[in-house]
Amino acid sequence: MAHQWGMVIDLDRCTGCAACVVACHAENNISTVGEDQAARGRAKHWIRVERYYEGEFPDVRVKFMPVLCQQCDAAPCEPVCPTFASYHTIEGLNGQVYNRCIGTRYCANACPYNVRFFNFYNPEWDKPLNLQLNPDVSVRSVGIMEKCTFCVQRIKASEIQAEAEKRAVKDGEIQPACVQSCSPHAMVFGDLSDPQSEVSRLARSSRGTKLLGELGTQPKVTYLQRESWHGAENA
Amino acid sequence: MERRDFLKISAATGAVAALEGCGNPDHQLIRFVPEEDMLPGLATWKPSICTLCPAGCGMLVRVMQGEAEVVRNGQLGILKMGLPKKLEGNPAHPISHGRLCPRGQAGLQVTYHPDRIKTPLARSGPRGSGQFQEITWDEAMKQLLSHLTALQTSNEQGKIGFLTSPLRGQRKTIVHGFAAALKAAPPIEFAFLASRTIQEANAWSFGSDALPTVDLSHSNYLISFGADFLGTWNSPVAQSVGYGHMRNGRTGQPGKFVQVESRISQTGASADEWIPSQPGMDGVFALSLAHVILSEKLGTAGAAGHAGALIAGWSEGLPDYAPAAVEKQIGVPAATISRIAREAAANAPAVALIGDGPAAHTNGFFNALAVNALNAVLGSVGKPGGIVFSPVWTSQSGKPGAAEGKKDGESSVRTLAEQIHATPDSVKVLLVDGANPVFATPMAWRVREAFEKVPFIASFGSFIDETTVLADLILPDHSPLESWLDDSPESGSTKTVASLAPPAMQPLHNTRSMPDVLLDLAHQLGGPVAAALPWKTYDDALKIAFSSLQKQKGSVSATDADDFWTKVKDQGGWWSAEDKSVSLAAGKIPAAAVKNTAPQFDGSPDQFPFHFLPFASQLCYDGSLAHLPWMQESPDPLSTVMWGTWVEMNPRTAEKLAIKQGDTIEVASQHGSLRAPALIAPGIAPDVIAMPIGQGHTNFTRYASGRGANPISILAPMVESGTGSLAWAATRVKISHISEGKIVMFGASLTDASPELKHR
Repeated sequence: MAHQWGMVIDLDRCTGCAACVVACHAENNISTVGEDQAARGRAKHWIRVERYYEGEFPDVRVKFMPVLCQQCDAAPCEPVCPTFASYHTIEGLNGQVYNRCIGTRYCANACPYNVRFFNFYNPEWDKPLNLQLNPDVSVRSVGIMEKCTFCVQRIKASEIQAEAEKRAVKDGEIQPACVQSCSPHAMVFGDLSDPQSEVSRLARSSRGTKLLGELGTQPKVTYLQRESWHGAENA
Repeated sequence: MERRDFLKISAATGAVAALEGCGNPDHQLIRFVPEEDMLPGLATWKPSICTLCPAGCGMLVRVMQGEAEVVRNGQLGILKMGLPKKLEGNPAHPISHGRLCPRGQAGLQVTYHPDRIKTPLARSGPRGSGQFQEITWDEAMKQLLSHLTALQTSNEQGKIGFLTSPLRGQRKTIVHGFAAALKAAPPIEFAFLASRTIQEANAWSFGSDALPTVDLSHSNYLISFGADFLGTWNSPVAQSVGYGHMRNGRTGQPGKFVQVESRISQTGASADEWIPSQPGMDGVFALSLAHVILSEKLGTAGAAGHAGALIAGWSEGLPDYAPAAVEKQIGVPAATISRIAREAAANAPAVALIGDGPAAHTNGFFNALAVNALNAVLGSVGKPGGIVFSPVWTSQSGKPGAAEGKKDGESSVRTLAEQIHATPDSVKVLLVDGANPVFATPMAWRVREAFEKVPFIASFGSFIDETTVLADLILPDHSPLESWLDDSPESGSTKTVASLAPPAMQPLHNTRSMPDVLLDLAHQLGGPVAAALPWKTYDDALKIAFSSLQKQKGSVSATDADDFWTKVKDQGGWWSAEDKSVSLAAGKIPAAAVKNTAPQFDGSPDQFPFHFLPFASQLCYDGSLAHLPWMQESPDPLSTVMWGTWVEMNPRTAEKLAIKQGDTIEVASQHGSLRAPALIAPGIAPDVIAMPIGQGHTNFTRYASGRGANPISILAPMVESGTGSLAWAATRVKISHISEGKIVMFGASLTDASPELKHR
């Protein structure tokens, strides 16, 4: 059976530090767009930290939630693409074939998570910032939609390595850049088709919930809700 | 036209257009012979050390073959070389545990920054104009030498000043050794977020002049007084790893986290309970908690030992700090104080932390001593789940006495500026490395004006910033990834850590490593200076220093000295086998127990109704990282602001003054004013105005110059009464609405999300 890659994000551990955001930029050749374009909502962050304030001063609570492509099993972005640039891979990823994309942006309109980003201009790196580009990831040109790939280049590298060594991919062997950077270990990545994997085990947690799961998108990212402390108050 | 001709012409014009686009016609560049063998497409991982904050995280650098335009011997050409592509934590390193913070990840952009100083520069226009001309290293060294020898001849070496960012390891040995042998003034180490007041309080309470290592993974209860320990304070990566464990990484009860501060920080956002308190009252709050613990016999006064005995009234059970008596002062209900104290006592191990903000009041030293005493009575000092002090490696390359364990706060720059203003002749040559006090000190200190009076300034900077722009001569240092690095962090692990990294790449530009430049200078100066710094190169000094570790039990076992050196280089350093904390000495004994004094604020409450709270930026840190495009474009976790700054205020404050989100407002203290867009957020007390440090650079590369405003500039020159450190949270301000404005936010619509969109 093919792998089914999935992720668990423990909101109890997430500190909103944004290491995942920068790690993703570095790994995936995401270009910065500058202040003017950012002001028009054209900044590209394949993963973002959403922040929600609850309550009023002085009883304020804050919640962070990292949001990336949920790699839905019933993905609204896929059937709307006229050129099959958005498609479902055999390993359950919402793939994006840049060569096929003609920039209709239907997929971004259909996505309820707002995690698809359009290149309004050709990306630019002031020399020699171009030297930081990761040769394993293609650079997207103007008119192309781009999105989180679960760091498919890292998945493929591990799969090829495992095959060369005639073994299965080990649980925890593959870490997308965001998972790799996460200091409090809020993010776990792995194979949902293996019931013994850490990600499967955590996804079955009673704290598990899907973002906008009621839409029927069947996301492969599971969020573990925050737990409020219930210790010995007034001991 | 024949089809064939058309193709020829379009191919030619196409090529010309492409060349013009690139700037340098690639085919005209010579290709240098590669100096190392690398397979294209295959990544190698090399150890390195993050130098962007004092935490000292060990990194792994992903290096792949690529082609870079470089200058070698004055000739521009293309070199096939190993290029760093990604920075990650080193899993073997006891501080980073294989993780990195967002700032560390962006370290790549320091090396590849388009506005790096690529070759030595001599000032060609008026000072501060930013006009420089390129010179050779020979000329640059000659100029610097002539200034140093001139002062040697006239016996005025004491008028040579050395201003650096905080130093550790052999870099410190060489800088301090150079200055001492030259008989120059002792080097001054400057950083805005130096945590000096906390370190000094720890020296008094526990006999350890250092920031603590926090063992959060075993804590059951955590009270943090304004410590941004998950963001910018102390050792954030190590602390975040421990925090994750405390929340959900072990069986049984997760620990509770209480944050006390007047503006919710990125760290405070994760708290189970966020308690806003009056600015500067953290010490009173901590002692009120201690009062409850003592009076309800949840702990004994004697248990706190020396840290408790320092506090006036401790042995009598702190009669002045009953919750009911101090609740108005602190701004927290007495019932809450009592409850927190009981919870903490019942959930051992419980630990308290104090951050830079509460220590940056005129009574900051007292605040820190009070939190130390609270820790002591909670029994968390030197224990699992509490705070411990790490054993720091202090080898000095076999040259004892070359570098003292001296630590400077930011106040040393104020002293320097005062000295220059009083006797302009007292500093004739100033060497600057890494520090930018012109940006990071209040205008009231007049640091810029003082430096303008110094006849000759030489900088080792990699970027033209507000301080380097005043230099007469710039001898650019390698970037950290191009340098030999070593570090011995004072906190973050209970192991002794001695990090080491060879260069992860060859230099891109015509730069030289600063320690090597100093060694070269020393050899050319000859005499006692050369004798004091006998090493040929910086890595020679490192090899000798690290050889002393071979006999000790640690992470590297080797057959001989060369084998040891190779293994240390491969692993990214050496760390002890055992977890150990330093045994606590008695600490300093003052003449009388320390009493609280009410915090003083600059400006009267009638005229200046708001407390002004600058805070370290999660992305731009203290401003030294504002030049990195990734840091500018990543949204701040709390405000989601990109490419700019903001003035944070409570919705009630904004409503009263008819200020809308993004409006340009003016913030004025008695010492200056600035303009910035308003950000209205609920997590801040109505009488507090907060602003991130980091933006407001007048001169710091194309990405940061002229962007936003600098809150440090308008601070009052208030100092902590005991330590003399800048009390940067002790300024009062008034605000006024100027006009409609603009603020760039990534999550501008997030606050409008309907409740069912929020996660449960």
